[in-house]
Amino acid sequence: MRIPEIRPYVIDNLKFMFKPDSIAVIGASRNPKKIGYQCLKNLIDSGYKGKIFPISPYADELLGLKCYPSINNVEDDIDLALVVIPKKLTEQIVTECAEKRVKTIAMITSGFSEVDNKELENRVVEICRKNKIPLLGPNIVGVADTSVKCNASFCQSLPYPGHIAFISQSGALAIALVGWTLKFKIGLSSLASIGNKADVDFSELILYYAERDENTRCICMYIEGIDAGPEFIESCKRAYVKKPLVALKAGISQRGTVAAMSHTGSLAGSTKIYMAAFRQGGVIPAENLTEMFDRALALSLQPPMMGDLCIVITNGGGAGVSATDASEKYGIPLRDTPDDLKAKAKNYMPSFGSVKNPIDLTGMCTKECYEKAITAALEHEDVDSVVVLYCHTAITDPMDIAEGIYSAVTKYEDVKKPVVACFIGGVECDEASNWLKEMGVPSYPSPERSMTAMGALREYGMLLGSVECDEASNWLKEMGVPPYPSPERSITAMRALRKYGMLLGGRKVE
Amino acid sequence: MSNKVDEIMNEAFSEGRTFLLEPEAKEVCQIYGIPVTKFKVARSREEAVRFAEEIGYPVVLKIVSPDVIHKTDIGGVVVDVKNSKQVLEVYDRIIKNVKSRKADAKISGILIQEMAPDSTEVVVGEVRDPQFGPSIMFGLGGIFVEILKDVSFRIVPLTERDAREMIGEIKGYPILASYRGQPPSDVDSIVDIILRVSCLVSEHPEINQLDLNPIFVYSKGAKVIDAMIILKKP
Repeated sequence: MRIPEIRPYVIDNLKFMFKPDSIAVIGASRNPKKIGYQCLKNLIDSGYKGKIFPISPYADELLGLKCYPSINNVEDDIDLALVVIPKKLTEQIVTECAEKRVKTIAMITSGFSEVDNKELENRVVEICRKNKIPLLGPNIVGVADTSVKCNASFCQSLPYPGHIAFISQSGALAIALVGWTLKFKIGLSSLASIGNKADVDFSELILYYAERDENTRCICMYIEGIDAGPEFIESCKRAYVKKPLVALKAGISQRGTVAAMSHTGSLAGSTKIYMAAFRQGGVIPAENLTEMFDRALALSLQPPMMGDLCIVITNGGGAGVSATDASEKYGIPLRDTPDDLKAKAKNYMPSFGSVKNPIDLTGMCTKECYEKAITAALEHEDVDSVVVLYCHTAITDPMDIAEGIYSAVTKYEDVKKPVVACFIGGVECDEASNWLKEMGVPSYPSPERSMTAMGALREYGMLLGSVECDEASNWLKEMGVPPYPSPERSITAMRALRKYGMLLGGRKVE
Repeated sequence: MSNKVDEIMNEAFSEGRTFLLEPEAKEVCQIYGIPVTKFKVARSREEAVRFAEEIGYPVVLKIVSPDVIHKTDIGGVVVDVKNSKQVLEVYDRIIKNVKSRKADAKISGILIQEMAPDSTEVVVGEVRDPQFGPSIMFGLGGIFVEILKDVSFRIVPLTERDAREMIGEIKGYPILASYRGQPPSDVDSIVDIILRVSCLVSEHPEINQLDLNPIFVYSKGAKVIDAMIILKKP
């Protein structure tokens, strides 16, 4: 059922779902082929420190834990009820959960509105809403939170730990992507599979992650459809000033339901409306799953790009050209290297290198060249971000280069200028790349992917810049600078703000 | 001001119509402060001439009929009518055209409208999205909308920033900024129209779809030339 409004009690109570002190697995099973077994095993295997109560009338003990015939037999309070029983029992179980004053329910069970069984779903939701119990699902893979090592799902394991909260409307995709997070070191703080979103919707999860979960730094969404449109925009607007939002909208075919009596009707497709909603809500869009995680990773690890000078540093001309082409697509204007930076950069390259932007250190360059060139760029007051490209050569070790990059980045952490890397090559490059990600520097296997990541950091910078420009516009008026409410022009205003010593996105500017 | 709009819509509903006649749609626009071309509805040949003279030549004549939504398709619009003789001639011709294409069409009158000087054409529209509710569209008129589908959307309610962004977002935006030595179009006046439409449709959920197409934008000001409002019973 569509949420009536954004409900504060849901946002308050979701912490019991993601960071519970106690979990009841209702429908726990001894059969390893059952989801009721997998969920219980996952909780135990993930290293969860809270109390686990398997609920099943068919066992006294499961996987070494005391088993209870009903939730009423448990004396402790229950923060999260993970429901994996057949659907015909759900109404009764939810009633028992309400009597027991369970704080939240995640319902894995399927067979509801996704197969037109809307009535049962509505009855279950009504019980939850009457008792103010947030219900996630049904028809989900569960929830996971890496900070408390809680894998309350039938995903194969906990996702790779990090700072992205991932909300997925597809369960199967969520399971598969957990595999990606481990393989590519994409750190998640939390995973929420929302399935039929019969009760808790995107908007409330977004606000929980933005306002209540300290471990989350970026909110990433895979969206198939939104029921409560205005609430979604409202919550995104509230959230993006605190944490960046990235979303992939799947299913972009033209909506057929709008009778095309008017021109406007015939031109409105769901994609255009969703893109408008994202724009108005401050959501950074992604075109596909790869881009979604590429962007989310950068936003979860690096500060926003608060300005418009991005310096690309490379050891190969080709990679530099590819990055230049991609920069246009992702809205990063590559301006020329400032003269004093050019002069400095010449010291770190052979005579046949290039100091234009991209700065080409050539294939001869070593760890030290990279480190010094990155340092010089980060030090320069006009530079707002750095993209570092590495093409594998016979004379350099990618791990060595990665260390050089990391060393420069850590030295200048306080300037809050984003850095992303790119390692082009074989397995040895993947290793270096993964190590950098673990150290907090997003790294990608191609120039295009590193540029889309930087593009997202710039978009987020512009969003924050716009907010601050709104706040500062009256002040600017007094100073005789007209305020311009468009992103391009907000850059102009940002320069003005910088001149007058105001703060931008937490980054102190002169 | 909304009461008058309600009256106009209720009248349409009571006649079993789910759309407003052009003069009704334009009146709704006027109530919301959206600039439209001067117009009057003539119920006779004599009235047609009198109104044309009041408005000033040249004028445009258009069919007003509850049975005709797309007026041009059946020869229901004639532009650049220069004098009283032509008014009478065109008046008869439009009625003949409509009768011959759609014999049972009820004719409410003939709209006599100021002929605004040509200028850059833009379109502002509205459509109800099932999930997001009323949404506003903006685009340049003619082939830009029809062939290139170069349009942008925003969801109601819009802020001034939203309105400005959606205008700047279309590919054809440079045409508004300045094109072939033409003075730049008055973007502020489009922003104003967009925000007024946002207000109109959020206060009137009976409006299902709306097209202000075309709107002529000048170096100062803008004017809605044609307005269509499709209703849905609340």
